[in-house]
Amino acid sequence: MGGSYALLVEGLKVWYGRRQVLRGISFKLPPSSILAVMGPSGSGKSTLLRAINRLLDYVPDARVEGRVEVFGLDVYRENPYRVRRLVGMVFQTPNPFPHMSIYDNVAVGPRLHGLAKSRDELDRIVEWALKAAMLWDEVKDRLHEPPTKLSGGQQQRLSLARALALKPSILLLDEPTANIDPTNARRLEESIRRVAVEDGVTVVMVTHTPQQALRISDYVAFIYEGKLVEFGRTREVALNPSHKLTAMYFRGEL
Amino acid sequence: MPPRSVPREDRLFYFSLVPFAYIIIAALLLLALSITWKALPALEAYGIDLFLRNVWAPREDSPGDYGLLAAIYGTLVSAFIAVVLALPLSVSLAIAVEELAPKPLRGAIAFLNDVAAGFPTIAFGLWGVEYLVPFLRDYVMRPLYSSIGFLPTFSCEPLSGASLLAAGTLLAFMVTPFMTALIREAYASVPFHLREAAASVSSAWYQEVLLVLGMIKPAIVAALLLGYGRAAGETVAVSLVVGNSFNVSLCLFAPSYTVSALIANQFGNATYYPLMPEVLFAGGVFLFVIGLVINWMGVRMIERVRWVG
Amino acid sequence: MAEVRALLDILFKGCVLLIAFLALVPVLHLTLAAIVNGGPVIASAGLKFFTEVPPPPGNRTYGILTSLIGTIELALLSTLVGVPISFMAAVLVVEFPHSRLGRIVRLLSRTLLELPTILIGMFVFTIIVVPLGSPSILAASIALALVMLPYVTTYIETALSSVPRTYREAGLALGMTKARVAFTIVVPIAVRGVVTGILVGLAKAMGETAPLLFTLGRARTSLNVDPLGPGDAIPLLIYDYAQAPYENLREVAWGATLVLITLFLLVYVLARLTIRGVRV
Repeated sequence: MGGSYALLVEGLKVWYGRRQVLRGISFKLPPSSILAVMGPSGSGKSTLLRAINRLLDYVPDARVEGRVEVFGLDVYRENPYRVRRLVGMVFQTPNPFPHMSIYDNVAVGPRLHGLAKSRDELDRIVEWALKAAMLWDEVKDRLHEPPTKLSGGQQQRLSLARALALKPSILLLDEPTANIDPTNARRLEESIRRVAVEDGVTVVMVTHTPQQALRISDYVAFIYEGKLVEFGRTREVALNPSHKLTAMYFRGEL
Repeated sequence: MPPRSVPREDRLFYFSLVPFAYIIIAALLLLALSITWKALPALEAYGIDLFLRNVWAPREDSPGDYGLLAAIYGTLVSAFIAVVLALPLSVSLAIAVEELAPKPLRGAIAFLNDVAAGFPTIAFGLWGVEYLVPFLRDYVMRPLYSSIGFLPTFSCEPLSGASLLAAGTLLAFMVTPFMTALIREAYASVPFHLREAAASVSSAWYQEVLLVLGMIKPAIVAALLLGYGRAAGETVAVSLVVGNSFNVSLCLFAPSYTVSALIANQFGNATYYPLMPEVLFAGGVFLFVIGLVINWMGVRMIERVRWVG
Repeated sequence: MAEVRALLDILFKGCVLLIAFLALVPVLHLTLAAIVNGGPVIASAGLKFFTEVPPPPGNRTYGILTSLIGTIELALLSTLVGVPISFMAAVLVVEFPHSRLGRIVRLLSRTLLELPTILIGMFVFTIIVVPLGSPSILAASIALALVMLPYVTTYIETALSSVPRTYREAGLALGMTKARVAFTIVVPIAVRGVVTGILVGLAKAMGETAPLLFTLGRARTSLNVDPLGPGDAIPLLIYDYAQAPYENLREVAWGATLVLITLFLLVYVLARLTIRGVRV
């Protein structure tokens, strides 16, 4: 079906108990593109991400209807662990595992799924991931220190490296720059742009500023009260929004 | 378990943990059942009188005559004395730690308090026999008896000093750290904006503290309940200071008994006397029921301390 | 008016401090009493206090070998029995909080916390001592394990559920199974709380007397370490000797109390100091 698409979402509805948070979301995203998901807080953006990799399974009372496909894989019929192997995620708060070293934080995914056959290979994967997250130069001399010594922005880039080390097909980012300083935020954006272009990773990123969406995304989705009110190529939507809510959001009025 | 689409790995994980949960559930059920089952012959033989009469006339050749009233009375009264005395102690200690102690000392006092809450009870027992009982006899009971002995509670002459009052006082000291911990935790959990609100309507520090205490009233009630439960079930320390005598008297200076002390003293040799073990198991049922009811109420109370906003 | 309030403030503060001090006096005085009474006893007996069996009444020798060994053996055995059950039950409560079993265990462990421990003694007497024909170290260990269960379960459960949700999500997002997240992410992050819970349970079990009264026997004058045979324990020895009319046995009781308090404090300080936890 959606074989040519990286991500297909069709009629996605989510309830928390009796409260409906997503009211039928549908869109298709081609491979190696970056989608920025926008909308006022509480509109259901984070819920959308967690529906894609089935983290909603662990939210009590959450109910999902509809269809999600990742490279043709029907997420809700597949074993969720296989899905999450393909879908990486970076969260709003930096969350490297505090009990593991910087190195182990990046190595944990490859080790888990047996991606490296030797110590050398693992070292290479870790180095690649840390370079992709633009963190390598800052940590290469203290790979075996705990991540808690890093700054918040560095911790967030470490979280990105941890997700990238698995070479995910899709990367989900939940307002990754909301809690870090502008310099680190810029570096994070640059890394994301690069993994999309150079490594062909498809990115779905929830963002809290229209500027960020304009800077890095190919597509934008605008969600309002659980509905997808706008979806399209970023430039087209920014220049000529079809919906007045989107226009207001871009002007900073929402 | 959610019915839909739970992966096999998670089901396996769940089912590998299930046996351990069942052990805990089975232990409690078995405990309740075995004690009740063992108590049944006594309940059949004496009926409700077993809990309402005060007799202890064991016989070796035939079932003796038994009634647990003295022990039940002693249990209820000594635990009551304990929480009445422990309440001001633990509230004051909680305020002192949270409000008055210098910051660096706070952790140390809190640690000391936690240590005291888990202190081996037998150490309190030995201390009670050697220090507390003589002290209470000479400096509390005798003066009260000779000055206001006309009051029924103080109307009997203290002999050894082992008595309901001694048991209640010792229990008070034993449950104070435990109650303090509960109250202190609730006190510390009051959110800052409510503290500010309390401060803004108070014109003195003590008014502010009293307001905060009002906010955590459920926790204080819970501490009273759980403290009462703990005191009513305490065994060895009490049996050393309560006097072990079948008395139902208003006088707090008279030696008395508690259910757990009675079990501790008699259960070991009870098999020589027909029906005595069963009578003691009935005492166990009494302890189980009040323990369960009081704890359940206490746990529910604690969960009522929730902050909104 | 303001002066009256200031005066009331001082009065209130004074009362609170005085009563708070009073609340701490017993446990301090009792520790002091153990040192003052037990110290000389241990000092005069020297090492023999730990290597000889208790004296006959009236004889001026001292020793608590059997009950010391017994207490250590009981602590180890009951931890061995109790901790795995508590740990796994706590994992279930935290990882499957909405399952019916999880809810039941959570409520039960909280409600059982203050169940009179003498009941556990009667229970184990009925289902283990009577069928086996005699009291034993094993029976007493099971009784102490039952005392520990709700404590350790509740402590570990609290420690595990204090781990922020975001670490679980991060683990799951990497494709870890729930079990792997629980054992390689959540437990290591909460290790300090878990170990504290185990040690607090151990300290509690070590100081208990009532569950031992009918389950342990009193093998006091000859050493037995076979779990199926009878044993002795320090709290039991103190309980018996506190009621004994002989001066020398009371002295042994004080010496034993000092040893018990020391062991107890040691476990607590261990729980407090040596485990360097992960700061989240």
